[in-house]
Amino acid sequence: MRSELAELWKFRSLLLQLVRRDLKVRYKNSRLGFLWSIAPPLMQVAVITFAFKSATNFATGIDNYSAFVLVAMIPWTYFQAAILDSSQSILLMYGVIKKVYLPREIIPLSTAISNFIHFLLSWAVFAVYWWGFKRGPILITTFWFPYLLLCQFMLVTGLSLFVSALNVFYEDVKYMVTIAMNLFLFLLPIMYLVETVVYKSSFGSGSFATRPWAVTLYLLNPLTALINGFRKSLLESPSPKAIGGHEYLPLDVPTLILTGFISFAVLVAGYAYFNSRKWQFVERP
Amino acid sequence: MKVRSNTGSSVNAPSLSGPAISISDVHKTFVLQHRQAGTLKRAVLNFFRRRPKEYKEVLHGITLRIEHGESVALIGRNGSGNSTLLSLIARVYKPTSGEIKRDGKIAPLLELGAGFHPDLTGQENLELYGAILGMTQEELARKYDSIVSFAFDTPDLAEKIDTPLRNYSDGMKMRLGFSIAIHMDPSILIVDEVLAVGDEAFQQKCYRKIEEFQAEGKTIVFVSHDMHVVRQVATRVLWLHRGTIRMDGPVDEVIEAYMLASEKPDFGDPEIKS
Repeated sequence: MRSELAELWKFRSLLLQLVRRDLKVRYKNSRLGFLWSIAPPLMQVAVITFAFKSATNFATGIDNYSAFVLVAMIPWTYFQAAILDSSQSILLMYGVIKKVYLPREIIPLSTAISNFIHFLLSWAVFAVYWWGFKRGPILITTFWFPYLLLCQFMLVTGLSLFVSALNVFYEDVKYMVTIAMNLFLFLLPIMYLVETVVYKSSFGSGSFATRPWAVTLYLLNPLTALINGFRKSLLESPSPKAIGGHEYLPLDVPTLILTGFISFAVLVAGYAYFNSRKWQFVERP
Repeated sequence: MKVRSNTGSSVNAPSLSGPAISISDVHKTFVLQHRQAGTLKRAVLNFFRRRPKEYKEVLHGITLRIEHGESVALIGRNGSGNSTLLSLIARVYKPTSGEIKRDGKIAPLLELGAGFHPDLTGQENLELYGAILGMTQEELARKYDSIVSFAFDTPDLAEKIDTPLRNYSDGMKMRLGFSIAIHMDPSILIVDEVLAVGDEAFQQKCYRKIEEFQAEGKTIVFVSHDMHVVRQVATRVLWLHRGTIRMDGPVDEVIEAYMLASEKPDFGDPEIKS
């Protein structure tokens, strides 16, 4: 793996160019282009806020429900877009790698990085909204924010490398990824708080979430931990009314450290898998 | 400035002591998969059914030394492994076994403008393709004017460099691609039938550039089915037949033998029974 990384370093100029190309094509050389690409998650947040406030009691007791959804929607959109983009990335550059030598991991890496840059810009939008307009408080837990960014970058990049390589050989991978993305929108604490799931298990209401192992599994999902972590590092706790009088759980440091290890392991494993397959890409029948 | 090369070695300039390319006992095997491209479902099922994979060896142990300054033409009928050998030299494929050593920077002209993006301007594509070929940003900035003026000799064409590539004709894209590739200052040029680009005037320009390369002592390896081109450019011809070297020698001698064989059924190959 060391020689692979050295080779990657030699081609850093190309990596930079590909990231620039991705962003240029995405923003189409106009300032409106950035607005267009940030609009869908914002509209989603607006619609979810409207629907959940009027049809459910998820939002009761949360003063800024839309902010709670937004801090979850930003990492979710990054995760989803980066993985979907990179699943197609090798095939889009197939004509190139059949004719020119370049370290192939540059291709999914550039998609992962350009999506990460977009992710950072989305946080800038959040910062303007939350600290600029809403005058939200800056919390001590915000200290964890850069760590969370790093964890998610490792997780997303590792999965991107894995999915992009797999998608070269198996056509049905992209459909599976799309299905998985649709399911995860509800499996992750985006529209609701993670406490809802945790306390539901002690209610004993007979739902799936009453089984403690299912809850543990749910909480161990690195993406759940990250979304929950972003929420708790940036926003202060809602009133106890929001979770049926239960206590709002603080930022869970041991889980976040575990998530860091998991994310790093995913990155290493994804890169190892990619390297084991990358020379076969051009020999695909 | 940091030195960088496309060959994996840490030197930019060739050492000139050994051969430019040395190939020792290279085999290349491809996996044959019939019918449609794979799905994950099929892969899982096949794993349980243990259906054996089929393999086809296209190169059977090629050993070859190409010295600096040689211009080697690879000839042979379709499917003899010419393009595979060229792709192996350009590091697009990895040999199944055996080893290929390259001394110096390689310009792979297997396809001109691979990676051009229609929504980006000529200039942006120039920077991107340059980077794909391994050029640094400062190198590209330095050579920018020279690349543009080589590709587009008239001012009205050169003006188009700021417009998106979708407004370019195929010939113009080729010109740009060729111009970028030769400006990477390679010591080894790998060419696959791409010299027939652009109009007559541009082709003449390409050949002049190739002659310039030869005069500078650079190495050229190319595949061609056009014996006029082979006679004009090559100093040595390699005839590949069914994945082995059938003949290797001076231009006229090999071409004569090749032409003679091509008139016979199955190239006079006694091994073919069908």
